[in-house]
Amino acid sequence: MLHYITINIDGADIKTPKGVSVLDTAIEYGICIPHLCHVPGLSDIGACRLCIVEQITNSHSKITASCTLSVQDGMVIRSNTDKVRKLRHNIAELLIAKAPNSRAIQDIAVRCGVKRVRYPFRNENCVLCGRCVRACSELWHANALGFIGRGKERHVERPLNIRQEFCKNCGYCIQLCPMTITPCDGPIKPGKEYLCGNCESQLIIAEETSEKCVWCELGKGFNCARYSQC
Amino acid sequence: MESLQLKSILRDRISQPHQLIEVLQDIQESFGYIPEDSMREISTTLGTPLIEVYRVVSFYKAFKLKPSGKYTITICNGTACHVRGAKLLLDQAVNQLGIQSGEVTEDGLFSIENVNCLGACALGPIASENGTIGHHMTPAKLRKLIDLLHTKEKEKAKNASAKH
Repeated sequence: MLHYITINIDGADIKTPKGVSVLDTAIEYGICIPHLCHVPGLSDIGACRLCIVEQITNSHSKITASCTLSVQDGMVIRSNTDKVRKLRHNIAELLIAKAPNSRAIQDIAVRCGVKRVRYPFRNENCVLCGRCVRACSELWHANALGFIGRGKERHVERPLNIRQEFCKNCGYCIQLCPMTITPCDGPIKPGKEYLCGNCESQLIIAEETSEKCVWCELGKGFNCARYSQC
Repeated sequence: MESLQLKSILRDRISQPHQLIEVLQDIQESFGYIPEDSMREISTTLGTPLIEVYRVVSFYKAFKLKPSGKYTITICNGTACHVRGAKLLLDQAVNQLGIQSGEVTEDGLFSIENVNCLGACALGPIASENGTIGHHMTPAKLRKLIDLLHTKEKEKAKNASAKH
């Protein structure tokens, strides 16, 4: 039998089974916490840091990633304070500066309210979200992908840099990768980076209802967990 | 020969994935680098995925994927050595041997390594040759050291050919 506990997210008391993460609970109850590296059914590693929330204990607040934070009885979570919004905005900005060539990342930045990027574009092809790596090892038990190197040189690579015979050719790594969805007008050429401007209507939604999930179109590209629930 | 050595390293560690780093350290010590075939062997014997072995090897600087030269010139670039001109030592070694740090000369004799600290800051700047620390190094001293090693190798080769 599931043990239910009560936590408080954004002022609402929510009953939730023990052992699930704060992010899962919030998504189930329609509270929008933007997330990128979280995929339902896979373990969470807290790589993208987009899902940060403020956890309040004894009037002290702590910022943590909600996907790796499991629920505890009497927990108080704030997902949409000014502090969280500001930090999340900054994280989204950094993500988009690292890899602007993806509509999934452009969309999630719009959802976080990014209108302008203050950092130089680096045009990389990977944001190290680790979706492909986790799907490969946890879903298919193939272990044909992994993180190689450390620090600045950390990147996704196959064992010994060649395709091994134990790769099952499932293509799931490509399916889950947020970088495979190009911006609406095709891939961005280096030196001509721009923020996807076609999403003005979505921008208004993101601004007016940043705390609620309104089934916006912005999450579709990268498989927002709310969409894959039903 | 190599496979025999590998077998003796792996003998008591069958199906023990937690022994991965110890095994890699032993292989690094006896071979000087981690060969690709040994990585496959480790993965099947210990029961760890190949990517895990490769990930650990690429993560730690102590493990090398390519064999290093017979003489490894290690130049310390820690704070103390850096202040006392370790950059000049590195330039000297790079210019004299014609390779960058982390590379091996064509004859497989020398390799240059640039490390962050060797832990003997009072003796800096340091350039060590196969673990033997040369203290208070200057570019001139380093040049002499490399020349000495070169002539040593040449004499060895001469003696070997004379014996035949």
